[in-house]
Formats: sequence, C-alpha cells, structure tokens
Amino acid sequence: MELKNVSLEMRDYIVEMGAETINWCMQCGLCTNLCPWRLFPGETSQRFNIRHMQRLGQMGMEGFEEEIALFACSTCRMCQTNCPRGVKIIENVRALRSSIVGGGMVPPHLRPTLGSAHAHGNPWSGPREKRTAWQEGLNIPPFGPETEYFLFVCCHSCYDGRSIKIAKSLVALLQHAGVSFGVIGPEESCCGESMRKLGDEELFQKLAQSNIQLFNRRGVQKIITTSPHCLWTFVNEYPELGGDWEVVHYTTLLNQLRQEGRLTLGREHDKRVAFHDPCYLGRHSSIFEAPRELLADVVRGEPVVLEREREASLCCAGGGGRIWAEVPVGERFGEMRIKDALAAGADVLATSCPYCVNMLTDACKSLEQQDSLAIVELSELLVSALPGKA
Amino acid sequence: MEKRTGVYICTGCGIGEAIASAALTRIATEEYKVPVCKEHPFLCSSEGQALLRGDLEAAGLTTLVIAACSPRVMTDVFRFGPDKIVERVNLREQVVWSHPPNDEDTQMLAEDQLRMGIVRAREAEPPTPFLAEDLSRRILVVGGGLAGMTAATEAAKAGYEVVLVECSDRLGGYLKEVFKLPPSHPPYDELQDFDLNSLTQELDARPEITTYLGAQIRAISGAPCMFDVQISQNGREALERVGAIVLASGSVPYNPEQLAQLGYGKAADVVTMPQLEAMFAAGRVVRPSTGQPVTSVAFILCAGSRNPAHLPYCSAACCVESLKQARCFKESDPALPVYVFYKDLRAAGNYEFLYKRLQQDGVVFVRGTVTDVQEDGAGGLVVMADDVLTGSAMVSESVDLVVLATGMVPTTTFGEAFKAQAPKEGEEAQAVPPDTVLVSHILNLQYRQGPELPALQYGFPDSHFICFPYESRRTGIYPAGSVRAPMDYARCLTDATGAALKAIQCVEMVSRGRAVHPRAGDESYPEFFMQRCTQCKRCTEECPFGAINEDEKANPLPNPTRCRRCGVCMGACPERIISFRNYSVPMIGNMIKSIHVPDEYEEKPRLLVLACENDAYPALDLAGIRRLTYNPWVRFIQVRCLGSINLVWIADALSKGIDGILLLGCKHGEDYQCHFIKGSELATIRMTKIQETLNRLVLESDRVRVEQVSLADHDRLPEILDSFANRVQELGPNPYKGY
Repeated sequence: MELKNVSLEMRDYIVEMGAETINWCMQCGLCTNLCPWRLFPGETSQRFNIRHMQRLGQMGMEGFEEEIALFACSTCRMCQTNCPRGVKIIENVRALRSSIVGGGMVPPHLRPTLGSAHAHGNPWSGPREKRTAWQEGLNIPPFGPETEYFLFVCCHSCYDGRSIKIAKSLVALLQHAGVSFGVIGPEESCCGESMRKLGDEELFQKLAQSNIQLFNRRGVQKIITTSPHCLWTFVNEYPELGGDWEVVHYTTLLNQLRQEGRLTLGREHDKRVAFHDPCYLGRHSSIFEAPRELLADVVRGEPVVLEREREASLCCAGGGGRIWAEVPVGERFGEMRIKDALAAGADVLATSCPYCVNMLTDACKSLEQQDSLAIVELSELLVSALPGKA
Repeated sequence: MEKRTGVYICTGCGIGEAIASAALTRIATEEYKVPVCKEHPFLCSSEGQALLRGDLEAAGLTTLVIAACSPRVMTDVFRFGPDKIVERVNLREQVVWSHPPNDEDTQMLAEDQLRMGIVRAREAEPPTPFLAEDLSRRILVVGGGLAGMTAATEAAKAGYEVVLVECSDRLGGYLKEVFKLPPSHPPYDELQDFDLNSLTQELDARPEITTYLGAQIRAISGAPCMFDVQISQNGREALERVGAIVLASGSVPYNPEQLAQLGYGKAADVVTMPQLEAMFAAGRVVRPSTGQPVTSVAFILCAGSRNPAHLPYCSAACCVESLKQARCFKESDPALPVYVFYKDLRAAGNYEFLYKRLQQDGVVFVRGTVTDVQEDGAGGLVVMADDVLTGSAMVSESVDLVVLATGMVPTTTFGEAFKAQAPKEGEEAQAVPPDTVLVSHILNLQYRQGPELPALQYGFPDSHFICFPYESRRTGIYPAGSVRAPMDYARCLTDATGAALKAIQCVEMVSRGRAVHPRAGDESYPEFFMQRCTQCKRCTEECPFGAINEDEKANPLPNPTRCRRCGVCMGACPERIISFRNYSVPMIGNMIKSIHVPDEYEEKPRLLVLACENDAYPALDLAGIRRLTYNPWVRFIQVRCLGSINLVWIADALSKGIDGILLLGCKHGEDYQCHFIKGSELATIRMTKIQETLNRLVLESDRVRVEQVSLADHDRLPEILDSFANRVQELGPNPYKGY
C-alpha cells in the first residue's frame, strides 16, 4: 500500500474553493450507502465512494482527483438530505472538482460542453443566434417594462428537438391562462448551474454576470423557469452575485393559476400515470405537491405511486454534468427508474425537468420498452388536456 | 419465650377454590395444637387485618403463621412489630397458581408447606439487634481528590462528621495540575474554568470536616460504626473512631516508560496527556527539546490502553481529556494544526458537541492504528498510522509535540498479593475460591482476610454487582471515583455523592443494629456457641465479607456489624455451632423432618427444593404468577443463600426418605449474580464433596443437584423441576424410606 501524505495546505485550499463543511464529516458512511451508485454494477460504481472522497479531501490527500470517481456524482442530494452532521456534500464535490478544473485539468468528455458554453452561451454547441428559433410562429411577446413574468427557457429546450416540445407546451398553457409573460432573446445565456457543479467556477461567473446584467437592465422582477436546475441556481446562487428576483418553476405557477380558476384543464386522461420527482425540483427545492395536484386534475382515477418517490426519488443521472457522460447500458440510473414505473403498473411516466425527460426517454429506448411506457413532460400532458385540444 | 401461635389461612386469590382449607385447619389444630386457627376470604383487606390485630391483642398471640400469598408481597400489611414472629406460608404462587386445583397431590403439597411453616415459626425467635457501645456515625474519607472532597462535602452537608485523610500536603488530587475542565453545561462546546482554591476553602470552612494532610492510615481495626483508625501524620499519631469509610484514593496515570514504541523516552517531544495538562496549568506550553512554544501537535489516543500488553481496559475519560486539550490549543490559536489519532472516539452524550466543535475548528481526526512516531530529520516528529477510513497507510505532516493519551491505574493495584493464613498442619486446604487482596497499604484493615478491599477485574475494588454499584466486598467500605472504575470528572462527582449516601445509610442502619445491603433492615446476626468449636476455620475462610477475625488459637472472632447475615458461616460449620435467632440448622432440619413422606408403594416421590431468597425464590413466584405448572412432588424451603445450606440438611432429608434434593440458587462465575458473592459457588463445591459420602451410603449422587437460575429463567423452571423429578423417578425411591 502506498503511503499517503496529509497536506493541510491542500485541505485549506479545498475549503477555500467552497468545501467549508468538509471538516464536519464524521465519516459515518450513510452517504455512500444511500448513493444511487450503490444500486448499479460496473467500474464507476466501484470507484465512486463519496465518504472516501470526502475523507481524502479532509486530509488533503492525493486520490480525490481520480476522474472516474470525481465526476461520477450526479448531485442528486440523496446523501446531503440525510447527512446526520448537515455536511454540504454537494458543495464539497463542487469544490473538489473546482480545485481540479480551476487548475485547467478538465476531463476530455467535458471539454466540448464547457467550451461551447464559453463560446455560444449554451452547452449544446448550438449557435447563439438560433437560441430563439423555436419561438417562430408562437407570437410570444418580448419582455418589456409592462410584462409581469420573464420566461427563461432551459438551453436544452431551446436546441434539442424533443425538448423544444416542452417549451412550446408551456407557452401554450401560459397563453391560455392569460399570463403576462415575455422573452428576451439570443442574448440570454445558459444559467450555468451544471457548469458550476462541474467545477468551472470561472465559466459560471461569466455566464451569471452576463445574465444578471441583462435581466436587470431589462427590469426583470419575476422569472418562470422550465427547468428545476435553472430554478435552483437563480434562487440559491444568483442573489449573492446581484441577481435577486422572484423565481418560480412553471409547475408552481400553473398550480397556483389552477387554484385561482385561471387555468381550467378540461379533458381527462385515462392512462395510468406515475410521477417521477426530479432531484432539483424535489430534494433540492422541496416542491412535491404542485405537480401532483396538476396531474390529479387531468388524470382520471388514482395516480400510480412509485415506491421511490418524493425525498426518496431515484435520480435520472442527468444532473452534476452526468448528462454529458458516456455510460454503459446496465449502469444507467434511468433504466432502474423505467423498471420502477413498469413494476408499479404505469403506462405513462410523467416528470417536469428537461434532463429527466432526456435521460428517461433514452433509458426507455435502450430497454426497448417504448411501447409499454411513454415518457412525458408534465407540460405536454397538461396541454393535451386543455379544452379544445386533441 | 412463651409462644402463642395463630394460624390464618387466606382463601382468596383462588386458594379456597383449589384446596380444601378445612384439612389445613385440622393439621394446624390437631397435629400442631395451635391455639388459634382461622380462615378468611381476603386476609390482606382492612377486615382481614383487623381480625389479625384483634386476635393478637385478645388472644395474646406472639407468633402468626399467615398461609396465603408469597412472603415477598404484602410485607407492609403483615407486619406487627419487632417482637412478633410472622411466618408466611406460600399457598398461592407456589401451590395453587402452579398446580391443578382440587387435586390430591396439590392438596398434599399445601399441607406440607403449612407444616413446614408452623415448624419454622415455632423454632424462630424475634431477633434482638446487636448494639455495641460507643457507636460512631462519623464518615472516614480516604483520599482528598475530587471524589474524596466531594464525598466529604456531601456528607458534611447532610450533617455528618467527616474525617478526611490525604497523603499529599494539599487537597485536590489530579485536579492540582488541571488547567480547565471539559464542558458541563449547554451548549457543551466551551471549556470550563474552575478554581481549586475556592473548592478547598469551601471544604475547610465546614466545621464537620476534620482534615489530615500529609497523612497515612496506619491501621483500621473494628467494624462498621466501630472502626478505629490510626492515622500517622508527620511523625505524630492520631486515633479516630468512625462508622463507615469512603475509599477515594484515586488512580495514577499509566507509566509511559512502557510506551517506547510510541516514541516516549526516545524523542524528547513525546509527552503524556497529564504532562501536557501540567504545562497548560503552569501557563507554559513548550517543546521539551527546544523550550520553544508548540506550533503544531498530534494526540495519540488509547496509548497503552485496550491492549493486553499494557492496560487491557478503556479508561473512559482520556478521549474527552484529549479533545479538551485540543480545544485549549485551538482557543489559543485557531490555525494551529492539531491531529487526533484514535481507535474509537468515546465522547458520549453531550461531549458529542465538543467533538463537533473541534471538527469545525479543523482538527484532523484519523481513525486507525498508529504504527510509528518518527523524527522527521528536521527537528520535528511525524506520526504514521494505518488509516481505516482511506484504507491506506498514512503519515502526518511534521508536528512539534506528540501527546500520548494514557489511561489510569487505580492506586489499589500497587502491591503484592496477600496470602491468607495457611491452614493448620493436618488439615486439608479448602477449595474456596480466593479473593485477590493486593497489599497496597491504603486502608491497612486489621482483617484476617487481608488488609485491603478485594481487587476484582483489573485490580479495581468494585464488587461488580450488577445491581449494586458502590458496594464492595467489605461491609461499610465504599469505593468511589477513579479508584472504583475509570471515570471522568462529571462522573466522579455523582460517584462520590453516591458513596457518601451509602456510607450514611450504613451508619444509620448499623447504629440501630440492622444489616445493610442486601438484607437491609435485618436485625438478626449469627451467634457462635464456642464451647463446641473445633477451630477448623471453615467459617473464617469462607465468609465472603471478611466478617470473622481469628485469635491466636484459631478461634473465630465474629464482627456482627461487618456481617451481611447470609449464613454462609452457618452452612460451613461442621459442628453446627452457628445460628441466627430466626434462622438456624435445627430449624430447617425440623422443617425437613415435618414433611410427610409416603412409602414407596404410593409412587409419590418427594423432592426437597432449597431455593435462595434472591433469585431462585422470586423466579418460582414469577413462574406461579405466569401460571406455569410443574410436578407436585416438590417441597420448597426458602434459604437466605445456598451458601447457608448445612450438609446435615442433606443427610436429614435423605434419612427421612426424601428422594431428591435440588438446590436452586443464583448464578456464580465471572458474571455472577449471587448477592452474597460466593454463596452459590460454595454450595456447588460442597455438594461435590458429598458425592463421595452419598456413594458410600449406596445412594446415587444424582439425587442431589445444584441449578443456577436467574429471575429471567423463570420460564425454564418447569423444565428444571420436571427433569429433576424424572431423573429421580428413574433412580427409583429412596431406599431409606420408612426407616
């Protein structure tokens, strides 16, 4: 066994990068045992042990920078939600990654992603000027001084064919409910949430500052987001940088409108629908009821309840930069989620996050279950329940 | 004393429905000619009690036999003053609740239990308490450390005079060189200041306390309430008479010279935790090698502890002491690097908050085994360990100071084993399990059994009674503080207070002529008919409490106030010269002889069950309460301890034709439950001795059996009793029946 050296200087550096609570950890191991990686076979699962990684960080020891482990975490928050010491484990992972990425050592599979975000303001290598191409023909007003809500659409739903439907569905719902909302334009950049989780602090600061100046110049006060990831960073990270707005996820707003009678959803689906709680909506933002209440309005009969739901929901493996990772079949979190839904007897698995839709659709296909289970985004389900829609 | 006996049969609780009480009445009035015998449906009720009190008065009764529920219940109801004998016959738990109703054998069982109860009542005399002259209620406290000072102060606050003896010239013990204390109030993450001087002054201000500093105890002779203590101080001798003793002589740090493999003695900058504490107390924390301030430190916990080669046990307080010292460093400089190497971190209860605080302070905690402490070649030290949490060998950065958290060793362990007086020539040595007494020159008891308290596990004088902390194997002497068990400051305070309370209980009880734990309140005590003593020394050797001294002719010299009234001496004496007013060899012998033994053609065997009062008898009661049933051949006699069983009872039983004798007693061995320490073990040894005798009489040794039961074993009692019955029936009837 090679001898490991303690380096308090390295530890202090990691703490400075954001791992302020890394010393609180008493190494009980609950995190490692709750981590979804425990459910899967393969090399990543064997190498990734969050307790061990934090231990190396606590002592400033070499080894935490091992790529396959350091970038395996999807930041699902299962560990942090249950940590008996209240250690901010995700912050620690971010800080550990920061100390590597900040030093210029970016894993090869992430270079195109980060490079694209730098150059084009989105991680999907989509041209900046095409960011609003999906809006054509929808008559979405531009955001102005009289507009109540600024609609911020996740980059994924601006550029990805499947995901664009989410944006369009939401626009239809908001228009139907008569909400005063508008968009800004191609100057909008990625919210940067995943970039920061990957450890590229410099990139995040750049994106955040650009957005903050843009939104404030336009007088933005309220924001609707399509993605729980954007929601999370606008609520938790932007305020201390100068971006302080009232931010809602669309499910919260639509549910509120439904309760006020401004959104009437007529048609009722008679499929068996289960709801998958996205990590960043559920565990990270504590929003569990709004999507369920909306679903209850449009689905006839009892909802299908997944065994692992709410705080115990199983991550789709899209967060923390994992959506850009190449993962062998059999090691993908989404596959287990598809099995969860099928085991619970669902025909439809609904969710409200563009990353979840992406990962679950992918998993469904690789398990060849597309004919047994449909993956739907909540806004799509709601739009098809509007009166007069087929 | 002229006795008038009244027998009262309660027919409540199902007794009347299960047995024919009229037959019992006939036994009392015709076989035993008692002047008064009555039945009552509900004897413990106010009407029942009125009946009893009325008859006591009107019929001039001196002795009551209450045939009803177990003697363990309703003790406050069936109590009529110290001059009355009350004998309880257990018809409920051990007869009707554990046997079928309206059955011939159940009836015979009830009748025999009544016979035995009447005989027992007839033989018993009310005890008169032992009250000697010049009884003292003063408390001696040996040792003036935290425990001793606390015990002295608490006893004084309760109004008792205290004699405090301390061997050094100042009070305080370990506290004399302590800088700060661990947290003792919310939020439990700040260290406690304390002022030894004000503690001492408070003690000195109490007029009840007489303090001897720089003093040693030369000798203690006597017994509770009659201890004569010779104290020598600076060449002068003083004599004090005290009633009870609190032993609070404390412990000393483990000798670090044994810890060379952790660098002690090899590198100058490896010190022990007490040595560091003294540096803090003196206000100068420097490296021994250079005299420069310490700028980085590593603590090694469990240094020489939990290791069979050093101290096999955990010293309870060292983890928190080290955390305390780590906090001292962080208080003085938050950036100072601090390592704590541990196997386990025993920071229980509210100390967890201190541990959390230190983690937040940035102390590096490493869990694993320290493999080496090395000089780094540049004047510093590095600690190498096998780290459990990273699964690899690791090495710390260089530190100025390495602190070994050593354990504590009680002062009672420093001495050679005392050898009890050897048996006289021609006598065989007794196979009595010996107590280890180490001659540590602390108490210097003038006891035949040795000058100090018996040292049990690891040399601590704790009696290891599960239910009874503070008890030792010498009556009236109560160890407290770190001499009793490894403990921290907070626990010392409660321990000392508890021991002071025990000492007070002792002097109050004994000064009224009563026994203390476990037969608290008992006014009987063993009396010796010395004319027939053969000086065999079995009683002096076997007394578990060292209550019997010996003169130069080997005559036993009993000390009644040291006695716990177990009767082990009574059981040991082959001449049967020892007895209590209400418990004696002839008494039980006559009870056995009163059992009706049918002849062998009736095929109703008889089994005598001698059950000790502490675990076995309650277990039998509990079996009854749970309505567990067993064979009706048993006849129960409650004894104080199996150790009090005299072998003549076995002979009496066998010659009466009883087919089997079962001894039910508490567990002995390492995890013992026997409330008199050695009683059930002695009984087991004695029974093996009579195997030979039985074989010579052509009686099978299987007819006598010893079983260990605890209260939790009550559900096994039917199996124990029935399997014994089956074995005895296999052996066939006792050939001596009918002789």
